[in-house]
Amino acid sequence: MNLNMHSVESLVAQIQGLSGNIGELTQLRSYLKHCDDLLRTESTRLAPLLTELDPSVHSLGYLYILEACTSAPLSKDQANELVLSIARFINVCAAEQIRLAPEKFISICKRFKEQVVLLDDPMRGVAPLLTSIRKLQSSTEQLTTLHPDFMLLCLLSKCYKIGLSVLEDDVFEIDQPRDLFLYCYYGGMICIGQKQFRKALELLHNVVTAPMPIISAIAVEAYKKYILVSLIHLGQFATSFPKYTSSAAQRNLKNFSQSYLDLVNNYSIGKVSEVEKCVQINKDTFESDNNLGLVKQVVSSMYKRNIQRLTQTYLTLSLQDIANTVQLNSPKEAEMHVLQMIQEGDIYATINQKDGMVRFLEDPEQYKTCEMIERLDLSIQRIMMLSKKLTTMNEVMSCDPSYLGKVGRERQRFDYDDFDTVHSKFNI
Amino acid sequence: MDFSTLNEALAFKSYDKVADICDSLMFQAASEGVSFQEDWPYAIHLIGHIYVNDINSARFLWKKIPLAVKESQQEVSTAWKIGQRLWIKDYASVHEAIREFIWSPQCQGIMSAFSEMYTKRMFELLQSAYSTISIQDTALFLGMNEDDATNYAVQHGWAVDPTSRMLTVTKQAVVTEQKLDHSILQQLTEYVFHLEH
Repeated sequence: MNLNMHSVESLVAQIQGLSGNIGELTQLRSYLKHCDDLLRTESTRLAPLLTELDPSVHSLGYLYILEACTSAPLSKDQANELVLSIARFINVCAAEQIRLAPEKFISICKRFKEQVVLLDDPMRGVAPLLTSIRKLQSSTEQLTTLHPDFMLLCLLSKCYKIGLSVLEDDVFEIDQPRDLFLYCYYGGMICIGQKQFRKALELLHNVVTAPMPIISAIAVEAYKKYILVSLIHLGQFATSFPKYTSSAAQRNLKNFSQSYLDLVNNYSIGKVSEVEKCVQINKDTFESDNNLGLVKQVVSSMYKRNIQRLTQTYLTLSLQDIANTVQLNSPKEAEMHVLQMIQEGDIYATINQKDGMVRFLEDPEQYKTCEMIERLDLSIQRIMMLSKKLTTMNEVMSCDPSYLGKVGRERQRFDYDDFDTVHSKFNI
Repeated sequence: MDFSTLNEALAFKSYDKVADICDSLMFQAASEGVSFQEDWPYAIHLIGHIYVNDINSARFLWKKIPLAVKESQQEVSTAWKIGQRLWIKDYASVHEAIREFIWSPQCQGIMSAFSEMYTKRMFELLQSAYSTISIQDTALFLGMNEDDATNYAVQHGWAVDPTSRMLTVTKQAVVTEQKLDHSILQQLTEYVFHLEH
């Protein structure tokens, strides 16, 4: 069946007529699904149809046609036009309508991202992809498959701050596991760029410990960065994995990160010169992994660690002694380091320039203020919310057939009375 | 490009909003495929980031600025110089960089607001970190000459020893009003009760 003039008009008419409410839209969606093959074969002739539709009102129909149009390969000029038209569509489309055909929407957004990267102008895609995420999500707790694409564009265009704003959302629902790996890896890199090491550590930890039957390149790279960020933020690295890490990760990740583990060993000894030697030896590996900048930050964090270690032994210490112990060049340098640490809250101390001494102090926080109460309050509310979510998830899972099937199979291992209520159909 | 939101913010002295406004205007321009780099107000954009102490974003913005603009627009490179010095924590030279340039009318307001804020911030840092400090260093940190620095410090309660040219820091007892909202205490009591049952 060819898409002749009559069919084209009826297609447009159908879209225009059936875009009024959810009932009509569902009808329209089945109609469009029927026409899908047609749209694909006639894709080169569809562009003029778009001019007869309003993307904000006829979003679903417009989406189908746009997606069919864009499936063909393009020249550079056409790519520019395409990027513009998709960006405009994303901005004005109606969220409820595009959510009726999420695969189509995702398909044009992915195409959009590809073209933007090919045009070497990733910043063009940042704002539209953010809009598309917000329109596609059913809530801010859902991680869509577009999230990692957005993160990638933020990284490529060096627009880290806007990436951070999305990372602040807590994720409870994921469309595909692969999305989580990429999202957390890219997200970790964005946090590193904004020097938010605590959050970076959390995200990279997720990649390393997520369930995986076999390890992936993403997990390997994430592990390397995880080691470095752990050194910068915590001053140490625990080589043992948490219990919930997959066995594949536990067995294999370390094999790919030998240089990094050497760095950990030298770091824990505490001598800056040794660490710098280790960096020199492994420089090529660090460079080809694009981690040299991070490694340098590890080295400079050593001065901070070493000064912090001094607070455990001394109440007061001269600037000269600090400089000697920590391998700095002069008491003035030591003074500047201590000043910076005081500013960033890494140490509690006062500098006495007259005597050239530093006095180390206790944390002055008394936990008695209104701000503390507010913080406690917020934390408790968060935990209560999390606890409720976990209970709901547990309940949903205990009704899941595949879970019950496994439990049924394992039945012999447990006391019969515990699983009395499991239907015999599950006893395989 | 419509910069009216930016100009409004500048007119109302909402300097802390400048960076966010510039960022969203830039994304808008980029997504429309418009070539905006030549006319973009990079100087004010950079200063906006510096004003809210987001030197990371200022760094990334600097990396994106085309070389031609960096070389021709001196205000942009001077604004970056300030960011750079803040980045490497060269506290004293920040004042120099602010002072040695005659800022355009658009940047004048935010620059002087930043300068004041920075001096105050430096003073608070000195107050929290030092028990005694030389007049010379104080002057450097505050970007004033030694006499002005001494007067500023004395006004804030510090003691001066003219012979050794040293200032003794006195921390003002900071009295933050502890307004105890009884409902919060009630809530906490309820939590504890809930947890124990």
